[in-house]
Amino acid sequence: MLKQIFSVRKILSIFLLLSIAYAVYCIYYKVEYWGFHFAPRQNADVWSIEAHISFDPTGEPIKVSLTTPRDNDAFKILEENVIAEGYRIRKNKASSRLILSSEAKSEPQNIYYKIQLFDNIDTRGKVRASAPEEPQAPVFDEQKMAAAKQLLQLAQKQEGDTVSQIIRLLNEEPLQPAVQSYLPVKLNQQIMVEIITDLLAIKKIPSRTARGFRLQESKKSLTPDLMIEAYIDGLWKIYDIKTGKKGLPDNFILFQRGGQSLIDVEGGENSVIRFSVLKSITSSMKLAGKRAKISDQEQLYEYSIYNLPLAQQNTLKWLSIFPLAILIIVLMRNVVGLQTMGTFTPMLLAMSLVKTGFVAGMLCFAIIMTLGLSIRFVMSKFNLLLVPRISAVVIFVILIMQSLTIVGYKFDFNIAQSAVFFPIIIMAWIIERASITWEEDGALNAGREIFFSMIVAIATYFVISNEYIRHIMFAFNELNLVILFLVMLLGTYTGYRLMELKRFRPLVKK
Amino acid sequence: MFKWLKSFACPKELAAAGVLGMNRRNFDVISKYNKRCLYPLVDDKVKTKELANKVGINTPGLIGKIEYQHEAKNILDIIKGRSEFVIKPAQGSGGKGVLVIKDYHDEIFVTASGRELSYNEVYQHISNILSGLYSLGGKYDTAIIEELVHFSNIFKDYSYQGVPDVRVIVYKGFPAMAMTRLPTKASGGRANLHQGAIGVGLDISTGKALHGVCRDVPISVQPDTGADLMKIEVPFWREHLIIGALAYEMTGLGYLGADIVLDANRGPMMLELNARPGLAIQIANGIGLKNRLQEIDNTYPSGLTAEQRVDFVLQKRAK
Ligand SMILES: Nc1ncnc2c1ncn2[C@@H]1O[C@H](COP(=O)(O)OP(=O)(O)O)[C@@H](O)[C@H]1O
Ligand SMILES: [Mg+2]
Repeated sequence: MLKQIFSVRKILSIFLLLSIAYAVYCIYYKVEYWGFHFAPRQNADVWSIEAHISFDPTGEPIKVSLTTPRDNDAFKILEENVIAEGYRIRKNKASSRLILSSEAKSEPQNIYYKIQLFDNIDTRGKVRASAPEEPQAPVFDEQKMAAAKQLLQLAQKQEGDTVSQIIRLLNEEPLQPAVQSYLPVKLNQQIMVEIITDLLAIKKIPSRTARGFRLQESKKSLTPDLMIEAYIDGLWKIYDIKTGKKGLPDNFILFQRGGQSLIDVEGGENSVIRFSVLKSITSSMKLAGKRAKISDQEQLYEYSIYNLPLAQQNTLKWLSIFPLAILIIVLMRNVVGLQTMGTFTPMLLAMSLVKTGFVAGMLCFAIIMTLGLSIRFVMSKFNLLLVPRISAVVIFVILIMQSLTIVGYKFDFNIAQSAVFFPIIIMAWIIERASITWEEDGALNAGREIFFSMIVAIATYFVISNEYIRHIMFAFNELNLVILFLVMLLGTYTGYRLMELKRFRPLVKK
Repeated sequence: MFKWLKSFACPKELAAAGVLGMNRRNFDVISKYNKRCLYPLVDDKVKTKELANKVGINTPGLIGKIEYQHEAKNILDIIKGRSEFVIKPAQGSGGKGVLVIKDYHDEIFVTASGRELSYNEVYQHISNILSGLYSLGGKYDTAIIEELVHFSNIFKDYSYQGVPDVRVIVYKGFPAMAMTRLPTKASGGRANLHQGAIGVGLDISTGKALHGVCRDVPISVQPDTGADLMKIEVPFWREHLIIGALAYEMTGLGYLGADIVLDANRGPMMLELNARPGLAIQIANGIGLKNRLQEIDNTYPSGLTAEQRVDFVLQKRAK
């Protein structure tokens, strides 16, 4: 007899250990490769960029072509939206341009292009890129070429690598005479980028333009800033064209790479493009999918919960906390020894409390129970049959909930409105059972059962409403496997229950 | 705070006292020795009665049974010519739905507590039984009408209304522990400990009182009558034990509780059997059950008849 228990327990213990090992491995994997965190709302940057294009039509067919970001290693497009009424929208994948076309129009046109990008900080500068073609040296006349070469000579005295040196030289304060005479009088970012590109081309360093936005809280609309990227040692490295600093500045989001024009409008004039940029913070969970793709761990990810649509994820998130609640019920009943009304009733109550909030939920529960029990006591005088009686209680509970909600709304008393979150049938059964226990075993037993049920419900509530616990149970859902074996192992627990220590106390020999 | 903690025993102390806990009872005893398929034999009082009659265990005679709602109106025919009987659910528990009618005449039913019920109320009660109000999980049930037990005067001073009964725990056919359950005012005349009845542990070899308990608290005087509980000595003790031992033969349950009442004229009678008897009997006896069961496991002989087992226990314990 003893031998048999031992072996069952042993098998379950082994499974428990295996599941723990598995969970530990999965947690490691998710943290390492998917960037999961133990704390909820570990933030990652998500940028929302909105381009507002406006122009006046000239009366010819309209064609607007806008450069758009490419989904690549450094950032991922989470969402892309175009609002352009009456336009045919096409995306040219190869050049990554958005092409909008329509018949001739008369009123001033407004087109919105919205995009959400996730800035993958972790992979910045780590992703190898295949080598671009060697750049063609610019076609300069002899005099200009000589001047350019002189500049390159001078640049070597500046700090930093070749690219930084050139940028620093061009931005020096004050400018050296040779530089001053080389630069045109009217200088803007675009021209500056072209000059740098030419100089790098002479040195046979491939480079390209990058467009992006520097986030400024105060400014509502922004103009894109230009940066330059140079291909060095197998990697694209980005440089600030004003300071020559390598790497992306803080709060800077790259929008587009390569030197095409930002926007071309045919059939329109006075075209203006305004950008507004917002940096928002999103939980790392939502980005896990994108991250997984970046880290090349797609295979596994595809079969995980986190690849599902968000709505389903939310349902599953809700579900993945259940096993823990069940574990609490098992502990409360078999280890503590609390007698509750129905096995899982306290868990369902706890779930309602999560939806309603603690105070509101408890108040509502108290109101529903009090009213329901009084009505049930009146009803017990009628001696109704079981099914009609319980049905009547269900209807009463519905009526109570309705009145609470209406009254709550009328008096702007939010608490009362949470009534609807309580499971009607469960409430009706609690009322029915409580009143029967009351009649049969006395108020003491009924009160005790309700009290214990509430204690278990409240304990469960505090566990499942905890942000950290919820996050961890969802993010590392293999923990549920551990709980499964823990619950099974508890099924072989033959020790005393906590309540028995008190109950059987008189048996202890002095 | 400290005082509160003191009201708890240490698990080691309980283990040393040989206390059987609920988890161990379920896991080590019930799930081992009580096959699921045997439960219906004891959960349905009609079946229990039929079986009991076969092996020769005394039970209150079955007057009739009502299985379907449309038969409920037959109640007057069933009880015709009788003035006392009991109506109860076949699958009830904890005394729920038991209607003891002491005096019936002209469609007026007087209960044990003196309440007068009309035919309508009794009809309603039967309907409630049939609809499953008193049965586990609300299953449809059968109403039993059986003979009233005229309980012996011996317990009169010890109980407040109701019928005191004797519960014998039988392990592998050997009576292991016993107690008598005495209804009190608080229990509403019912013999269930959790409703507030008194449990008095009985010496398994003599049927004499050992220890009293009410709501898990030791007690030695019946609060309603003031009678000294320690003076209790159950007559026909051997017969009580034999009913318990035979119940094992009859059901095959390795661990069972037999509820036995003493009828003034017909002697000990079995009221019902229980496949999951509670653990309060330990408190009533002041002794843990685990050691007792282990002793039976290890040292008691096998292959004896019911009577031989009872005699074995009587001798062994008397020493
Ligand atoms: N035939 C009877 N005569 C007198 N009292 C009875 C009879 N049957 C039951 N009772 C009373 O009802 C109580 C519970 O009955 P019982 O058959 O044990 O049903 P339950 O399974 O609900 O405990 C008994 O303890 C006794 O007080
Ligand atoms: Mg009983």
